[in-house]
Amino acid sequence: MSQFFDTIFKPEFVFAIIRITSPILFAALASVIAEKAGVVNIGLEGTMMISALFGTLISFWTQSWLIGVLGALVVGILLGAMMGFFALRLRTNIILVGIALNILGSGGTVFLLYLFTGMRGNTSSLSSPNILIPTWNIPLLKDIPVVGAMFSGHAVLTYVAFILVFVVWFLLYKTSLGLNIRAVGENSNAARSVGISVQRIQYIALMLSGALSGLGGAFMSMYYSQSWNTGIVAGRGFIALAAQAMGRGEPVGTMFSSLLFGTAQALETRVSGIQGVSSYLVASIPYVVTILGLVLYMLSAKRKVRRLHQKLKNRQDAEQRT
Amino acid sequence: METLKTAVETRDDLLAVEMKNISKVYPNGIAANRNVDFSVRFGEIHALIGENGAGKSSLMKILFGLEQPTEGEIFINGEAVKLASPSQAIAHGIGMVHQHFMLVPTLTVAENMVLGMPPKKGIIIDYKKAVDMTAEIAKRYGFNVDPEARVMDIPVGMKQKVEILKALLRGAKILILDEPTAVLTSKETVELFRQLRLLRDEGFTIVFISHRLNEIKELTDRMTIMRGGRSMGVYETKGITEQQISQRMVGRDVILTVEKDKSQPGDVILEVRDLSYINEWDKRMLDRVSFNLRAGEILGIAGVEGNGQRELVDILFNLREPEGGAVYVNGHEITGLTQRRIRDLGVSLIPEDRMVFGIAGDAGIADNIIADRFDKKAYNRGPIFNMKSIHEETDRLIREYRIVSRDRNQKVGMLSGGNIQKVVVAREFSSDPILIIADQPTRGIDVGATEFIRARLVELSRAGAAVLLVSADLNEVMEMSDRLIIFYGGHIAASFDDTTTLTDELMGEYMLGLRTQASEPKEEKTHV
Amino acid sequence: MYKRRMLGFSLIRGLAAILLALAVAAVFIFLATDEPFHALQQLLIGPVVSFGEDGASFNVQSFYQILAAMIPTIFTALGVCVMFSANQFNLGGEGGAMAGGFVAALVAIYLPMAAGLHPVVSVLIGAVAAGLITLIPGVLKVSVGASEMVSSLMLNYVVMYVVLHFLNYEFADRSKGATQTHAFLPTAKIAQMVRGGSRLTYGFIAAIAVALLIGIFMYRTRWGYQIRMIGINQNFATYSGMKVTSVILLSQFMGGLLAGTGGAIEVLGRYNTFLWKELPGFGWTGITIAILARNNPVAVPFAAFFIAYLNKGCLLMNTNSDIPSEMISIIQASIFLFFAAEQFLAGLRQRIVVKNARDELAQAQAAAAASEEG
Repeated sequence: MSQFFDTIFKPEFVFAIIRITSPILFAALASVIAEKAGVVNIGLEGTMMISALFGTLISFWTQSWLIGVLGALVVGILLGAMMGFFALRLRTNIILVGIALNILGSGGTVFLLYLFTGMRGNTSSLSSPNILIPTWNIPLLKDIPVVGAMFSGHAVLTYVAFILVFVVWFLLYKTSLGLNIRAVGENSNAARSVGISVQRIQYIALMLSGALSGLGGAFMSMYYSQSWNTGIVAGRGFIALAAQAMGRGEPVGTMFSSLLFGTAQALETRVSGIQGVSSYLVASIPYVVTILGLVLYMLSAKRKVRRLHQKLKNRQDAEQRT
Repeated sequence: METLKTAVETRDDLLAVEMKNISKVYPNGIAANRNVDFSVRFGEIHALIGENGAGKSSLMKILFGLEQPTEGEIFINGEAVKLASPSQAIAHGIGMVHQHFMLVPTLTVAENMVLGMPPKKGIIIDYKKAVDMTAEIAKRYGFNVDPEARVMDIPVGMKQKVEILKALLRGAKILILDEPTAVLTSKETVELFRQLRLLRDEGFTIVFISHRLNEIKELTDRMTIMRGGRSMGVYETKGITEQQISQRMVGRDVILTVEKDKSQPGDVILEVRDLSYINEWDKRMLDRVSFNLRAGEILGIAGVEGNGQRELVDILFNLREPEGGAVYVNGHEITGLTQRRIRDLGVSLIPEDRMVFGIAGDAGIADNIIADRFDKKAYNRGPIFNMKSIHEETDRLIREYRIVSRDRNQKVGMLSGGNIQKVVVAREFSSDPILIIADQPTRGIDVGATEFIRARLVELSRAGAAVLLVSADLNEVMEMSDRLIIFYGGHIAASFDDTTTLTDELMGEYMLGLRTQASEPKEEKTHV
Repeated sequence: MYKRRMLGFSLIRGLAAILLALAVAAVFIFLATDEPFHALQQLLIGPVVSFGEDGASFNVQSFYQILAAMIPTIFTALGVCVMFSANQFNLGGEGGAMAGGFVAALVAIYLPMAAGLHPVVSVLIGAVAAGLITLIPGVLKVSVGASEMVSSLMLNYVVMYVVLHFLNYEFADRSKGATQTHAFLPTAKIAQMVRGGSRLTYGFIAAIAVALLIGIFMYRTRWGYQIRMIGINQNFATYSGMKVTSVILLSQFMGGLLAGTGGAIEVLGRYNTFLWKELPGFGWTGITIAILARNNPVAVPFAAFFIAYLNKGCLLMNTNSDIPSEMISIIQASIFLFFAAEQFLAGLRQRIVVKNARDELAQAQAAAAASEEG
């Protein structure tokens, strides 16, 4: 057990948490934007898979990690637009559209990989260090003991993920697009009554959502796993949905719940070697926590409504007496 | 009805709005407006009054570009216009404050104000400017709103101010307010009126939709009265009494007679004791309402909509929880019982909103017919449905109730309104009910179905069922009922054991709150 | 007349969706291989026709394999039908199938029983375990309003890890190199229906029978009736006096029960020991099949056959040409998207409705004219 605490109280552990959280955070922010606009995007998993593949392929073809990442981003946007087309235009139930996208992500990618390269199942033979997302040793910070080991030397996209928390917050709360997104998601009639096109805003939200999960995909294949394979996303798109729900749909709250999942996963890798601890049970913790978090959240929301009613009633009774 | 001078426009009057010969016929054949002329002078507060279904809303939707008239012309400031959408109406300086607020709860007042047209610095919303704009326009018109409060946290009265300011900010010179006082407390109403007068003095033109006569008398300059889709005339508020308004607003063009024997009341079936209800807007919709209903009689509940009838029916069927009081059926308390138990006691309900509660539109007629009886022995053989008896029952009811359909499996949602209602009625009447609650049973359906349903209700009551008939249709409620209750403001304003001597005039005065039986005739009284 | 036209429309629409999906597949095949026609042949007729020296012949073994592959997905699809009919997007079929398989396996290994009884009891216990699992999202939904979709997705992973934990730490057969349980008792095996390696067991008969039973359940019993009405209009169901909460819970339990049955039959029919290391995927395939069958249990076996056939075709393309078998995902996703699209071919439907209204009007006028003459 002491061995376990040794690994936890090391800066490397914090470093691992941040690294592991990043892809979840991308997808969770993607979910935040979609939910704010009143659309459920359960296709995050598939979007991540597909853009992860294209990230790797494009970076290989262009021998540029940056163009690879941008390619993944564009693919994410296109998939978001596709979801919009089916869900908003052809009126397919959006949950089903998401599931279809996930099916495409799990198997269609293998086919696409073969189509483009003739390879089956993974791209390990394509990888070379110069087309992976580079890491960044932050000057000054890297030299501070402990802190440097925690926060310096991450992939560039990791920093992007955390910066995006602010960017998404900024977008939602400071720009007119964000105002429109929030209005559409909450009271579409009110939005419509002042001339906002609800469908257009939802399209945009889905495309932004796709862009963010695209970055998450690129992170997985171009840094985290160093290459693309069929099990690369492993449910992170679904965890992201839960992180969003637990974070009450707010960017900062979602960042914290993503960190919670990141921590649980980081723990999992740390304890798996320890005698007497089941790595599988540890691996299930994030999911159990999510369910519990969801329940607690709903309970608190319910209690709030009840309190409001009580307040109302008391006031009425007081009025009656006077 | 005494003759009154109507306030017709002369050539010299400047008109902000002029709607000429407007007719609106909906695709289902219902005519909401028939050759209506409506005009509003610059800088006046003009009341548009009429019962629900009189055509006010439809007329105002046309003016705000939400609906297109079937026929007729619209002039704004003397200029002929076509208003194809709300944005076009807004561009012509028309603003509308809807009864259900068009606000986003989690946004602040300032954000709601500028929604769709926010001030920007680069890509950023200039929130400070939005706040300033809000504060400025609020100050200018003497509205007290907190620009930085979230809409969900502010009281209803302030939400309404935000809606008015929203319209003003978008350059509205003509404001349409759809029953603005329906959600307000009396204190808030006083405040609203003060502000509306100020706006008028600033040169704004206001159309005020209401059916509260005291408010109209207090606030408005002129009025247009509507009934049955037609205009009943334009009057100076000063030159008309509340009684005269009531006579024009409530009344029947054709008096319908329903043939029925005298009722033979039996035991008390329904007993309502001290029922109270407060709605989500903090408003007391029912205030200690009590009444009895006996077997074999039809008790009508009349009243302008929004005076507590809907809440009463919902509580009777446990679709809402009362704040206090109790309901007994045949001596059993039913408050809080499941719908199953209530039905088992022999209660059936024709719901007001048949599409939401009355039917499963995507299911067939048979599935809809058996909804309340699918678990009865007659329709099951052990665990399996007895399809033969279900089909027989359905076919029998389709014949008996003359439901026009292709076959028993046709989706109910595909039927016409009258036939949908017949499906509901066939189910609710055929379960041997001892108490039938019929909430607006014939609204919006064709004449044939209406007559059929009314005759059926009488027949069932004469056979011993207790019938509670809630209706805004004066003909229906006056001619069908053995006894009659009138609701006003969540109270029973009047109750009559003999409906034969009732006149339209008297009904109108009770329905509009000019009279109550407790202190009749009610003295002129305003909110203040 | 109208009914026939609308039925015709549904058929055309379904066929168009399928054809469109196959066309998408064909485009990809043409892009991916130099021998597209060979690949297409493998995909479309390969599953049942083998090409030998003496020409084409019906390939019975391959046909049996397709039927065998249908077994678990028929069950999961039936579960989806029941759960989705109540308008609950519980996606726990995946976890349900795995849990059902694992629990059934344990019973098959550790509880000796008579030969005829053993598989039945194993499957039933596995199914109940799975039902209790899919009940959880339902309970959370009706009690606190938590989204059944999110909680069921999470639950799938919890189930997977818990099963893997027990598989690795409690019930592993240490004598084997791979992680697997001890072998099932011979009494617990589900018997093969035909000779050969097709693995077509009596589970197939059970699947077809259960599809019919669930069809009867949904359309001929009071419980299925309530599930359908709640799914169509919950307000209506409440007002009519149905026990909405209990019925929703029942539907979620049954969904898991069916998925668990599928997992259990698959495990006891196909393998000698439990060795799944990840979620089996039957839950997702079940959703596709249920969509194709439009939530109609009786149509499920046909939809399942269609998907299993295509799946087999894709596998053959994989072996006999150079197209990866994952082609199936592209076909499935395309079918999915177009089949469920409300507005797909909406123009055509509109024309039918209008034409019909016109016909009815004409008929009414003719009738009126006739009665005037008479």
